[in-house]
Amino acid sequence: MKKSMIAIFAIVAVVMLLALWGVSVNNRMVTQDEAVSKAWSQVENVYQRRNDLIPQLVNTVKGAANFESNTFTAVVEARSRATAVNIDANNLSEQNVAAFQKAQDEITSALGHALTVTVERYPDLAATQAFRDLQTQLEGTENRISVERMNFNNAVQSYNTMIRRFPNSVIAAIAGFEKKGYFTSISGAETPVEVSFD
Amino acid sequence: MRRLAFLFFLFPVLLFAQQEWTPPKSDRLVNDYSEILTLEQRDVLEKKLLDFSDTTSNQIVVVITPTLYGDEIVAVGQCIGQSWGVGQSEFDNGLVIIIKSKTTEEPDGQVAILTGYGLEAAFPDIFCRRIINDYMIPPLSEGDYYRAIVSALDIILPVAVGEYSYAQYQKDETKNLLVGLLVAFGLLGLFLFVLIRYAKKHPNQFRNNTFGGGGPWIGGGGYGGGSWGGGSNSFGGFGGGSFGGGGASGRF
Repeated sequence: MKKSMIAIFAIVAVVMLLALWGVSVNNRMVTQDEAVSKAWSQVENVYQRRNDLIPQLVNTVKGAANFESNTFTAVVEARSRATAVNIDANNLSEQNVAAFQKAQDEITSALGHALTVTVERYPDLAATQAFRDLQTQLEGTENRISVERMNFNNAVQSYNTMIRRFPNSVIAAIAGFEKKGYFTSISGAETPVEVSFD
Repeated sequence: MRRLAFLFFLFPVLLFAQQEWTPPKSDRLVNDYSEILTLEQRDVLEKKLLDFSDTTSNQIVVVITPTLYGDEIVAVGQCIGQSWGVGQSEFDNGLVIIIKSKTTEEPDGQVAILTGYGLEAAFPDIFCRRIINDYMIPPLSEGDYYRAIVSALDIILPVAVGEYSYAQYQKDETKNLLVGLLVAFGLLGLFLFVLIRYAKKHPNQFRNNTFGGGGPWIGGGGYGGGSWGGGSNSFGGFGGGSFGGGGASGRF
């Protein structure tokens, strides 16, 4: 009688301790998950900032004399494709982040190309204050994008490490925490487009 | 060549990797690794920035370096701001002015202004670019680094004053302290309440002193009063501000 009571008590105690541990692990994962979401919203902010600058840029160059309107066509198209890629902050899977990055990197690449062409062919336009101001803003935006992408990657790294490590991974599996994707730097668009200067 | 330079300009910080060279965290606001400024000039600037930091809580750091070890100046400035923690963590009101001096080995002069998150609105990138182009590059190309810094600060300080005031900073601190105290008292009250109720229900346990010696102890509060001493000539330390890549750069 007494022995069985003790056994039951022990089991209950162990289960309770396990539950407490699970709850605390779960809470820490929630915190990290929120950190990733916050970093993601910052990433979206800075990309949005660039999206907002593109129409300004197009308007500025459009006004210039004998400017070929198709110079920025690729940029505008890439931009509209990218705005169609909407990623839910609750589902930052590897595929989703990769799709987002691909769409945004296309803008980066098209923008770099269009700006180079503009500077090459329309030096007068490129020398105007309006163009230089936009150029400054775009530079600053690219810098911000780099920073926020790095911050996001750091947040994802600590989140992924946490949920994949045993025994946390057990709780992660029960509570449904999934691995999140990184921004990668291998794809071509992150490096400036090759332009020959001959 | 100019065109080529432009291209590099557009993507200044390709992979803002973690590997940027950063000088070790300094305990000064003016850091002249190129040893261009005279000691008097350095002290004048240090005092000016220290006073500014003490009165407004905005922190401005000046770095002059003979080399960037091949990294982009914007990336290095960003890393300095972030890893040194320039500005207060509540406001992110830090600003980094970094100059890569001309040397015989590396004859290209570069300059950048990096703004903490909290100062981005007061110092948009275009504004930083104008400060660099109009006030810093002319004296820098004459080799007058001191005048470049002073004339930049003449523009920056009055603008930054309007952003965050020391009074606001203090108010914030006091508020935090009050909330902290309130929470601490609340917890203490709750603890005593539970203890008393428990004691009433189980008076025997208390008589037998099952609680073991010590009695209830209350943990020492974690309220480090912040190292923001109002010291007149010693720098209280960086406040942990964050930087998001805002700012501009130029060459001379």
